[in-house]
Amino acid sequence: MAEKNKRSISFPRYAEYNCAFKYIVEQALGARYVMPPVLTKRTMELGTKYSPDFVCTPFKTMLGSMIESLEAGADTLLMTHGLCRLGYYGELLEQILRDLGYQFDFINLSEYDMGKKKEYIRIVRRLAPGVNPARFLAQFLEGLHMVEYLDEITAEYFQNCGFDATGGDYRRAYQDFLTAMYTAQDRGDVEQGYRGAKRALRAVPLDKPRRPLRVGIVGEFYTAMDPFSNLELEQKLADMGVEIHRWMNVTNQFLRYGSGQKNLRVKIQDLCRYDMGPTSTANIWYARECAERGFDGIIHIKSAGCTPEIDVMPVLQNIGADYKIPVLYLTYDAQTSDVGLMTRLEAFYDMIEMRKKVL
Amino acid sequence: MEHQPAVIGLPRAMLYYRYGVLWRTFFTGLGLGVAASPPTDRDILAQGTALAIDEACLSLKIYLGHVAALVGQCDYILTPRVSNFGRHRNMCTRFESTPDLVRSVFRSTGQKFLSYNVDGELKQDEQDAFLSMGRELGCSAGAVKRAYRLAKKAELAHFKEQVQKQEQLSRREGMKVLIAAHSYVIEDPFMGKPVTRFLKAAGVIPLRADLTDREAALKRSLSLSPTCKWEISREILGGIQQRRDTVDGIILLSAFPCGPDAMVNELIARRVGDVPLLNLVLDSQSGTAGVETRLESFIDIIRFQEGKL
Repeated sequence: MAEKNKRSISFPRYAEYNCAFKYIVEQALGARYVMPPVLTKRTMELGTKYSPDFVCTPFKTMLGSMIESLEAGADTLLMTHGLCRLGYYGELLEQILRDLGYQFDFINLSEYDMGKKKEYIRIVRRLAPGVNPARFLAQFLEGLHMVEYLDEITAEYFQNCGFDATGGDYRRAYQDFLTAMYTAQDRGDVEQGYRGAKRALRAVPLDKPRRPLRVGIVGEFYTAMDPFSNLELEQKLADMGVEIHRWMNVTNQFLRYGSGQKNLRVKIQDLCRYDMGPTSTANIWYARECAERGFDGIIHIKSAGCTPEIDVMPVLQNIGADYKIPVLYLTYDAQTSDVGLMTRLEAFYDMIEMRKKVL
Repeated sequence: MEHQPAVIGLPRAMLYYRYGVLWRTFFTGLGLGVAASPPTDRDILAQGTALAIDEACLSLKIYLGHVAALVGQCDYILTPRVSNFGRHRNMCTRFESTPDLVRSVFRSTGQKFLSYNVDGELKQDEQDAFLSMGRELGCSAGAVKRAYRLAKKAELAHFKEQVQKQEQLSRREGMKVLIAAHSYVIEDPFMGKPVTRFLKAAGVIPLRADLTDREAALKRSLSLSPTCKWEISREILGGIQQRRDTVDGIILLSAFPCGPDAMVNELIARRVGDVPLLNLVLDSQSGTAGVETRLESFIDIIRFQEGKL
């Protein structure tokens, strides 16, 4: 009978991190996890239809994804807090869904004071009243481990996948890794999946020039990382034969640095005195890092209406001018098309390739 | 030789409408000169638009135009960073980025900028921020403290007077419309002024949601939107809660594309259903005919509902 009282929890689709949400919900909380369907055009149509016009695009994506989760059987939706408009997503998402007539339990982290440890215990108790704290903590940490592995393997993948000499083995090895993470039931599965992926990726012969084209990706936390939202920019560019480097991921932003990035700010003091927004310090620091390491270009990704990333752009423009490094600024909204993006990427690729030959 | 006191330039946009009195009194109290940019006009907007990233909000474009008008005209231009006053008391992230954004945009001009940093979550309140700014200007701690105390007093007195004026207006006979807008939108000659001017000419009494006892407003805002975390939006929400039952209509007035307003105004529209509501978004279009048509029909709707048309 206990099965019946279990919650069916969902969190909107977010890059490939849903494997870790699933692991934590199932293994740490002992609840059911409802995997939101893969993001599609339908998701965006749903989200756009019911969202206010000028809200940033991830809000629309998440609204669409939540509707699809409810259709897939979720009875509990979880929404995060955040430092920018993200911190207000929860309340408005819930209101819109309730006005549409959906019934569900909503757990909005913005209602809790996330600076206090006690609040986390309250949230866990609400999600899974009978949970054993020791088991929860152990499995939760394992879930975070999965996030670190995911970020490490993903970074390795995009640095090399454009140079796969076999015509597909590298990509298959990455897909196998993702499958392993989405189906992991315990620590052994996670570790085995990670080690297997490391071996499999290393076994694929690469055909990489001595000095390949290298492009650094910076930008807004959701759109820069979520392949559906950025129209698989990293894969598209890698497939042209480019090494893709992106510092921004959950591991680097949250697990390694927490909320304070004081030590990153040291190197960019001449460019900005303060934090300009939730991810400004990391983005400015990494953009300069790419420039100093002699990368061939930088791509700045954001969704339409992302205030903090709009404000970072003048600083990036100065970095571009100082180091003579091309910066491509891309804004994604619900209407951005694949073809339009491809044209801009091809032009950018041609330009950095030509510069590399001349310089 | 007499030493000329430094002149501090104040861009007449954004937080000027919230802290203008505080800034003026503070700097003159320290014996420094103060110069504000002229009221917003077409040139200022055009210049600001050219300097800003396309997607930035109208308010930032106007702000950059005001900064440009002051460049080379004063020793320092004030661009504060006001991040938050504590938990769930944030400013839009744009007020966090302003000083660095402005320095980046104007770095080739050689202009010197002055800023202070209010960050409640990092235990840096306004007084601390002013103290370190005063020391940066070479003033003694005692003089800075005194100047700040006087300036704060003047600011609060000025605000209280404005709130009292609203109270008097709200007791007048006639159709009353509550305008929910940031002060830098409603008071700007290019953005909100034409709206209030039109309403007055049409015989409507415009009231302002943001001119209300701030402490009470923050508390009241919780009943309308419990997780709203923007200080100014919360003041406006509180102002709406205070007057929604006694006004004939509410106008949500925002500058395109204001981040907080895009969300908060949607929520207000969904939760305040018992009074006629107009959602008016201002962009940089020339001419006010479009806005006037919408205001006119809004007034007609109110009159029709009240059986006066």
